[in-house]
Amino acid sequence: MRSCLGNLFKLGARVHLSFNYAQKRLLQNRAIDGGVRNIFDRKVKQMQKQRAVLSPDGHIFEYLKEEVACSVVDRIADVKRSFPLALDLGCGKGFLAKSLAQEDGVSMMLQGDLCKENVTKAYPSLIPCDGLSFDEENLPFRDNTFDLVLTSLSLHWVNDLQGYFSEVLRILKPDGCFIGAMFGSDTLFELRCSLQLAETEREGGIAPHVSPMMQGHQLANLLSSAKFNLVTLDFDQLVVNYPSMFELMEDLQGMGESNALLSRKMLHRDTIIAASAIYQAMYGDTMENFIPATFQLLHMIGWKPHETQQKPLERGAVPKGFNAKEKSQN
Amino acid sequence: MRVTRFLKMRLMTHNMLTSHVKGVTNGYPLILEATETNEKEIDFNPEFIAKMIPRIEWSALVNAMEKLGKADLIPEEVADEYENDEDFLHKAHHALLEIDVIKGNLVCPQSGRKFPISNGIPNMLLNEDEV
Repeated sequence: MRSCLGNLFKLGARVHLSFNYAQKRLLQNRAIDGGVRNIFDRKVKQMQKQRAVLSPDGHIFEYLKEEVACSVVDRIADVKRSFPLALDLGCGKGFLAKSLAQEDGVSMMLQGDLCKENVTKAYPSLIPCDGLSFDEENLPFRDNTFDLVLTSLSLHWVNDLQGYFSEVLRILKPDGCFIGAMFGSDTLFELRCSLQLAETEREGGIAPHVSPMMQGHQLANLLSSAKFNLVTLDFDQLVVNYPSMFELMEDLQGMGESNALLSRKMLHRDTIIAASAIYQAMYGDTMENFIPATFQLLHMIGWKPHETQQKPLERGAVPKGFNAKEKSQN
Repeated sequence: MRVTRFLKMRLMTHNMLTSHVKGVTNGYPLILEATETNEKEIDFNPEFIAKMIPRIEWSALVNAMEKLGKADLIPEEVADEYENDEDFLHKAHHALLEIDVIKGNLVCPQSGRKFPISNGIPNMLLNEDEV
């Protein structure tokens, strides 16, 4: 950082402004809340979501969230249990409630989002649904309240995931279920690599432009250490094709998924143009004119511990070994 | 033509909410101040109501009904054998699901902090100094 400031001093007239900017960013990078280093700016994320939902053509960017919400609802339907009261954290425009029906076992749904306008404009639902506005990092609910807690594509903006999972466990009833979907580390790797290469070439350094995302084993560790039982993860990949990197970035902004890292830095025009060319060259399809964008999904399910849940057998519970079976066959 | 949804907060939701301001140990139940309410009939599902009764804080529900001026519509205590008591279940159903709060406030009992309800949506977002 010190050498970076030294370079800025050489710029002459623009020094004072740049210095303040750098100092402000440094202070923001040190934002530590309760021992957890904040990497995401929740206030900015709220404003981005608000802009996305209030824009007149905001609905055309909802395809990704809707698709993932449908697959989460499929998983709810797969669980052979009924859930009288469910909660949707980071609901967006209520995609989960929109796809749920009585047959899936949920009788009433509460849904909440950081951005109030998202909840105001939420889609109607077949089941009774109440909307709230709260920050997922601070859940305003009593202990042992919900049978089912859901989340779909909102965990990648949460700072303290460990705290979040502990809170989810707190508000779940014993033998309650947590089903979620979040973006994995392979998401938008093409965009990330292209931007890094372009930035190295044009500006001589790199700054994060695509959020750091979770790997599968890290998520499994987090869920287990939060004391969830019977944790199961599965991976899925959605590849969406775009004419060029510009359309991809426009769609990300339209979804409300723009950069909200505390350490974000502006992208220069030349860097973006260079990145687009690199993207096309490295990942683009040569025959047809499109580029793929990968969205890796981590689907997770975990249960709050309860005596009725299956446990591993005691040692020595199965007395016969494999040898015994071979002998009996002979 | 845009269809606007009629959004509301039911007393079932109010029963689950607590104040999460930093330093508050006794944030439940939130005191309900409603300036605009509405009533809408919902299909009666006795099994659902029977399953929800054990996790409802009945005293909080009674307090909320008192604040809405409808204390006479709900018994003070949970009836014994409530699963078979149709009358009790009907009253519980009406209180929990059919009374909608459109505008008002939810007040933290310990700190007095008001969480506004506008357009039927309670805003539980905290300011930076309350986290």
